[in-house]
Amino acid sequence: MDVKVLDRRRMILVNGVLLALLALSVVGCALLGPVRLDLSQALQDMFSANADAEILFRARLPRILLGVAIGGGMAACGVVLQALLGNPLACPQMLGVSGGASLGGILGLILFPHWLLPIAGGLLGEISWVPLAAFLGALLSMMLVYRFSLFHGRLHPYHLLLSGVIFNSFIAAVIMFLNSIVDFYQAQGLLFWLMGSLSTRAYLTVAFIWAYIIFGFLWLWAKGLSLNLITLGEEAAMQLGVETVALQRQIFVASSLMIGAMVSVSGMIGFVGLMIPHVVRLIVGSDHRLLLPASFLAGGIFLCWADTLARILLAPAELPVGIITAFFGGPFFLFLLYREGRRKLAL
Amino acid sequence: MNPAIETRDLSFAYKDRAVLLAVSLSVEKGEMVGILGPNGSGKTTFLRVLSAVLGAQGEIKLNGRKIATYGRRELSKLFAVVAQESHVNFPYTVAEIVLMGRASYHSPFALEGKKDLEVARASMELTDCLSLSDRYLHELSGGEKQRVMIARALAQEPEILLLDEPSAFLDLKHQVQVFELLRRLNRERGLTIVGALHDLNLAALFFSRLVMLREGKIYRDGSPKEVLTEKTIDEVYGIRVRVEPDPSGEKPQVFVCPSL
Amino acid sequence: MTVHCFVGSLTLLCGLNVFAQAATPAPRRVVSLAPSVTETIFALGFGNRLVGVTTYCDYPAEARKLPKIGGFMSPSLEAIVAKRPDVVIGVSSATDPVKAREMERLGLKVTLISLGSLSDILNSIKSVARLLGSPDAGEKLVHKITQQFDEVKRRVAPAPRRSTLLAVGLQPLVAVGGKNFIDELITLAGGENIAGNAAQPWLNLPDEYVVAKAPQVIIEAGMGSERERSAKYWRDLKSIPAVKERRVYAYPSDKILRPGPRVGEGLEEIARLVHPECFAESKRESNKGRRSGCEGSRP
Repeated sequence: MDVKVLDRRRMILVNGVLLALLALSVVGCALLGPVRLDLSQALQDMFSANADAEILFRARLPRILLGVAIGGGMAACGVVLQALLGNPLACPQMLGVSGGASLGGILGLILFPHWLLPIAGGLLGEISWVPLAAFLGALLSMMLVYRFSLFHGRLHPYHLLLSGVIFNSFIAAVIMFLNSIVDFYQAQGLLFWLMGSLSTRAYLTVAFIWAYIIFGFLWLWAKGLSLNLITLGEEAAMQLGVETVALQRQIFVASSLMIGAMVSVSGMIGFVGLMIPHVVRLIVGSDHRLLLPASFLAGGIFLCWADTLARILLAPAELPVGIITAFFGGPFFLFLLYREGRRKLAL
Repeated sequence: MNPAIETRDLSFAYKDRAVLLAVSLSVEKGEMVGILGPNGSGKTTFLRVLSAVLGAQGEIKLNGRKIATYGRRELSKLFAVVAQESHVNFPYTVAEIVLMGRASYHSPFALEGKKDLEVARASMELTDCLSLSDRYLHELSGGEKQRVMIARALAQEPEILLLDEPSAFLDLKHQVQVFELLRRLNRERGLTIVGALHDLNLAALFFSRLVMLREGKIYRDGSPKEVLTEKTIDEVYGIRVRVEPDPSGEKPQVFVCPSL
Repeated sequence: MTVHCFVGSLTLLCGLNVFAQAATPAPRRVVSLAPSVTETIFALGFGNRLVGVTTYCDYPAEARKLPKIGGFMSPSLEAIVAKRPDVVIGVSSATDPVKAREMERLGLKVTLISLGSLSDILNSIKSVARLLGSPDAGEKLVHKITQQFDEVKRRVAPAPRRSTLLAVGLQPLVAVGGKNFIDELITLAGGENIAGNAAQPWLNLPDEYVVAKAPQVIIEAGMGSERERSAKYWRDLKSIPAVKERRVYAYPSDKILRPGPRVGEGLEEIARLVHPECFAESKRESNKGRRSGCEGSRP
């Protein structure tokens, strides 16, 4: 009897199909939107002041590419966090990092020193002060949660989960407090942080985030085998050769840094990190060496389409993309779970 | 020749409660040792300390080298552990679980190779779970799961096998099967086996050396005949029994004397 | 016959209403729950009756010295009650109805005015005036504002309509939509709100929509908008006429954004941005009664 396991052929097949779907999604989403796009016009006159070209290349494409990176990054972090916390219901939001990043961003928004602008000139504006403040918030919260979960030099998944959740609740309270004291216009900015938005035209930002996330993802993918082992339990993993203490710390830091950067740029987009790993696991199994890249690609596809829907659904208004991910992600997952999950999912 | 396992003054305490007290034990290569004792005597803790999951005071040497000098990957090729229970929250097939035993034998960046698949298959055959290879672990019965865990341990190609109450969830037939398998592995491959056991009778039948723990200390260490006496069992377990030799006359068997 | 009945009963009701008003004494202690309400009360000449305003009430200058009873969305019930007002005036879209009911239960008289459309605003001014016992002041103020409207309408009439985007925030881009009094102001000012067909009064607009609608004028009226940031934000979308012809204005202004008595001035501000050529007059021209450039101005 032949033993069925993960082999090179399967890896290439699954990832190849997903990669193709991703490419199709990027193209498809670039052609869809609340306004009609004349593709021939856009491609003909690419470098002049051409409305169609601007719609395609300046308004749509950057945000689609950002969506792919963030969707992929969130899904990948969801996978590793579920492994780290030994809990299939873990998600990136649980670490507290996203809460800290949002709070940092909101404070950056509210306390933005308008008076500084004339003095520092264009420099402050260029650096984009708010995402930096958000990332700072992410770093601080990461250090705090880490400190609270450290016992005898080891990061206990249980404590990590608890600290993260409690930290998040606290942050949520602070954000709600700020919400009650800001004026109408700042409240709009606040909503961005809480529900997420991929709205961007800065290719530089997109490129930076891409580099950052690809690097992080590759690093995590390399740990795929260890992630498999750690889901068997801490002790079992140790007995199978994994330096669990170091691995837990590394995964926590790596995923926190990734999540912090993502939230700093696009606010809190939930559900992707929780749902995509599950859906992908139902299709390709739990071996992280395949689950990670497959989830990354699937997350990118998902968020790409979610953002397109966010642009189209209530046109001309743009919905926060986090609403779309929650709204469609939830029921879809329930449907999938009902159809196939019962015999496969160990819940 | 260095003993396979050698501990000297091994002590371990959970917070204020001492679990192991100055345990000094030496296991030669190819020995098959059963660790006995009531709950709380320190059996499981002893195995966890041996497998470097817990850190303890005192000295542990494996094959003459201090345990701290080994890296984890090296350790996982030296000994394998079959725990009492396994809680796996994620859906893996039996084949995937057994193959995880091969993790230290191939590069972490590569997928499993032909040798890995062969060893895994052989291990599953040996433990009679090859027919389960495509099933999901969480669908299996306790006994089937146990056999899979033993297969995974064997896939590690260890020199030493540590088992924590390996017959805990097995029915009678499979209990005997597991112990017969262990004895075969011990005789044919020279595998050093240390098992924490609760079934005194099966321990007596299959293990040539028994170590009785009482409140974290070694109480008796010797052959089943020497260790399983009515007096010892009364002092360690606190119950009165009758000990009679088995049909072959070689091994003692314990008969419980309840007040009916 | 029915028409006569209708008009007749209306007259009767109005008469009764006036009679009822005359019967109860006008409130002397008023609490305002919104900056626009505060401005209205001052504009009507009853600023001296205000005993409590929100922290956002900053116009006119005297309003800043008045005691504060909390924020715009979150007024403090205790502070309001402590002022022992005869009436509390809030805005129906902003004041929490639960809080309003609470206040009524505590024995306070609460009036909520609606400020959704321009006609709402004008009617509200009149009803506040009536509430405070001086309907004439209301009529006068509304008349003044209506005249301001007419003057602007007259000036921009000859010019062709210009598509306009009026935003109050950049990241995210929050624009004026339909069903918004500012949308009406834009129309009166000779502009055409590119998001005017939207159902929401305020909405996040994706950049592609702005490019597609190609507004000729972009106005950022939110507090905190400044020229540098505006210019930089729109710089790379050169196909937009407003960007190409440098008609992107950062113009933070409460007159535009507040649904209060200064809407007439707000309208003029918008009109000056949308049709600057209709307001650029030399003395000589104005003496001759001619407007320069407005008629032949390019779209």
